[in-house]
Amino acid sequence: MNLIELKGIQFGYDTQQVAILDDLHLSVNHGECHCISGATGCGKSSLLHLIAGELSRPLDGEMIRHPALMVGLVMQDPNVQLLRQSVGAEIAFALENLGTPSAQMLEKVQQSLRRVGLYISIDTPVEMLSLGQKYRLMLAAQLVFEPNLLLLDEPWTQLDNHGVQELYFVLKNLLSDGVAIVMVEHKPQAFGKLVSHLWQLDRGKLLAGLYLPSVPHGHKLNIADTIEIGTAAEERVRIAPHRFQFARRDILFRCANTLTISGGEMVALVGDNGSGKSSLLKALAGIQADIGQLPLSVLGKRPKLGIYGANVCLLLQRPSRQLFEQTVLSEMQFSLRRFQLPLARAERMLTELGLTHLAAASPHKLSYGQQHIIALASLACLKPKVLLLDDPFAGLDSVHCEKVWQLLLQLRHQGSAILLTSHREVPLDDVDRVWHIEAGFLQDKSQSMVLVDAS
Amino acid sequence: MKPHFELQDALFIGFCATLLVVLKSMLRLKLGLSGHSMFLMTFFYLLCYGAVGRVGCITACGLLAGIVAMMLSVGKGGPLILLKFGLPAIAMDLALLMIAGVFKLRWQCVIVALVGCLAWASKGWVENMLAGMTQQIALTKFALNFVQGGVFAVGAALIVPTVLRRLQSHDLLRDHHKNYK
Amino acid sequence: MRVKPRRGFVAGKWHRLGGVVSETHACALALLLSILLSSAAFLLPSSVLWVLVTINAGLIAHGLLLKKKIAVLLRLAAVQFVTTMGLYSLFHGESQLLEGAIVVLRVLLAMLPGWWLSSTQRPERLGEVLSWGLPHQWAFVIAASLSLLPFMSRELQEIYQIQCMRGARITPKALRNPKNWPEFIYCVLFPLLIQLLKLSKQMAISAKLRHFGDAAKATHWPSTRDHK
Repeated sequence: MNLIELKGIQFGYDTQQVAILDDLHLSVNHGECHCISGATGCGKSSLLHLIAGELSRPLDGEMIRHPALMVGLVMQDPNVQLLRQSVGAEIAFALENLGTPSAQMLEKVQQSLRRVGLYISIDTPVEMLSLGQKYRLMLAAQLVFEPNLLLLDEPWTQLDNHGVQELYFVLKNLLSDGVAIVMVEHKPQAFGKLVSHLWQLDRGKLLAGLYLPSVPHGHKLNIADTIEIGTAAEERVRIAPHRFQFARRDILFRCANTLTISGGEMVALVGDNGSGKSSLLKALAGIQADIGQLPLSVLGKRPKLGIYGANVCLLLQRPSRQLFEQTVLSEMQFSLRRFQLPLARAERMLTELGLTHLAAASPHKLSYGQQHIIALASLACLKPKVLLLDDPFAGLDSVHCEKVWQLLLQLRHQGSAILLTSHREVPLDDVDRVWHIEAGFLQDKSQSMVLVDAS
Repeated sequence: MKPHFELQDALFIGFCATLLVVLKSMLRLKLGLSGHSMFLMTFFYLLCYGAVGRVGCITACGLLAGIVAMMLSVGKGGPLILLKFGLPAIAMDLALLMIAGVFKLRWQCVIVALVGCLAWASKGWVENMLAGMTQQIALTKFALNFVQGGVFAVGAALIVPTVLRRLQSHDLLRDHHKNYK
Repeated sequence: MRVKPRRGFVAGKWHRLGGVVSETHACALALLLSILLSSAAFLLPSSVLWVLVTINAGLIAHGLLLKKKIAVLLRLAAVQFVTTMGLYSLFHGESQLLEGAIVVLRVLLAMLPGWWLSSTQRPERLGEVLSWGLPHQWAFVIAASLSLLPFMSRELQEIYQIQCMRGARITPKALRNPKNWPEFIYCVLFPLLIQLLKLSKQMAISAKLRHFGDAAKATHWPSTRDHK
């Protein structure tokens, strides 16, 4: 049965601007899985919202919707879609709005929880869930009103590998139940055989095939790279053996060996969502509460907010939230001004990144990727001795990832000690060392592998 | 509270009200100055008006803040807090009804802030009169409160236009009002 | 939060339902009582004020029995006492000090029932009672804002910390100087407001996609959490 058909859809945000969708055709039937890829900002998310019937702007073309069409949409970040405090109430929200009698709710809610493979109490507070669980909770909140078309916006970017795998099986079952799926995803390989139709959105049209950006993988780490004299091999960060746990909570992970980072070293810290990576970074910056006294030392001191000045910088997730100035340039100059460093560094940095054209732009009008780069660049031009980055590649397309690498390599060359986290494996060639948080242990895997080889 | 606010606007008003209550409980200034709450109130009320752009949203924000504060037991708690947040809000909305569009945004904010402060101080005055305070002392207290609160309120009112203009220049406000230039 | 148990609930849960209704009603009564007592503090003639004092003493005892703290209220009363008595002695001399004390007593008596209410009633219950008269949309807004509280305070804290590390003059010490308050507003509040603007948009979409406002009469999730 044909659920929805788009014929020659044309749509743009502004009359003067180029149309975002231009003569677009798409037809979705029961049990099909369509995957749409494309460059960032090409209008993929708009297309999903259009199918969901949530775009208020006028559009040209024809959209034929089956009378029985019921659409569920899970947007990128589950955190911004949560409306209630407990799992049960969250899922029941749609039922309340559809006027389902209270007596029937409990069963329906439990049924959809099982459908997404969540075996938790309906009274569980939503905050307690991991990101992957929240994503499936949002899925359950859609499934409860039995949509026959499910729209997903970039699930791969948000989830760790474990989460993707769980989602895979849920989607597989849904497809065999006859639910149609349209997902926007630039990593369709992660969903392998499930995808029945592969599209790329290019200049407003859907073409068959996968979008592959042509970005040279040019950021190879050169171990022999000479580091500026005087800073090399100076120990900047030291993590002595400890147990990492919040007050009155279970142990998150143990650290059995002393780990260190020296000037001019770049270390990746890899672990699943919720394994404690961000908390460790914050502890190193001295801003994590409730963890007691840990044997951490940064620049020879116990970390505390405000004692390092420009020497230690931290980039948290969603860096766009730290932007507040009127222009990109003044945003980058803010810290330079406060720490009384030469303002010219900001302009130089923009030139090096090839972003001079953005100098006078409002940082809030930039794309997600650009905001990310600007936030990072505004820290980088302080030339910190220690740079801590929480998942700096999350949600970035390959073009912007490459820019981040470029910046990091440059800082490493200048002698910064860099610790970055990632919820996905980082190739050993890209960094000096990789630490893992796995099965409750924080350890330097690259080191232990060398030891195994030697023995 | 009119039901015909758009959901998005209603949510923003609710968030502002909650943030107001949260900040009030976090930044409880230990100065002993009784007017500081007028700073936060004026700031968020005027901001709501600027962002949503409708008469009535300040009242909505005030009453929601009162309810939220009551539920979180912020401040002295109890039903009086509804009046504390609600009265200045209603007064500010009424003032806006009268002077909307007459003055420049900055002066409009200041006048509205002062009206709100007046309502806030009057509430104390009425309470004191009811409690049997002599006219003279009640008026002195009223004047003191009004001056203290007024300083804070005007301070906030002077910041709001800048914040609104910034939001506007970043395209973060929807296009139903472009008068902040 | 604002779940109102309706008739037509699963039959086996009748007695639990009865328990909820009476608990909610008790809360409504407590709310009414505290309003009455608060207004009585202003309206009763001084000669019968002792009745009110006795009742309020009972309320204090009740609150203290539940191990609630009253220090904030006492400090406030002390401030009131000092300023009012000071003004009285300044304007009227020592002859009317007793009158002044009665005024302070009345103000304190007006505040006490509020303290008692918020220390003996659970916030969810209060919210439920308060949202009885509210339109569906506003009840939803309150529930959503409250469930956003953890996010909001975490966000506030993180943005504050990031900007501190970026060198903003917003440390507690710097904030003692009102000159630095605008910095706090631009560095911390402004980004947070932007977040809230975006969030309100996304939550509205999320709610509408889940059919918010579609049915003429929305039903309610039978909150099991309340029964524990």
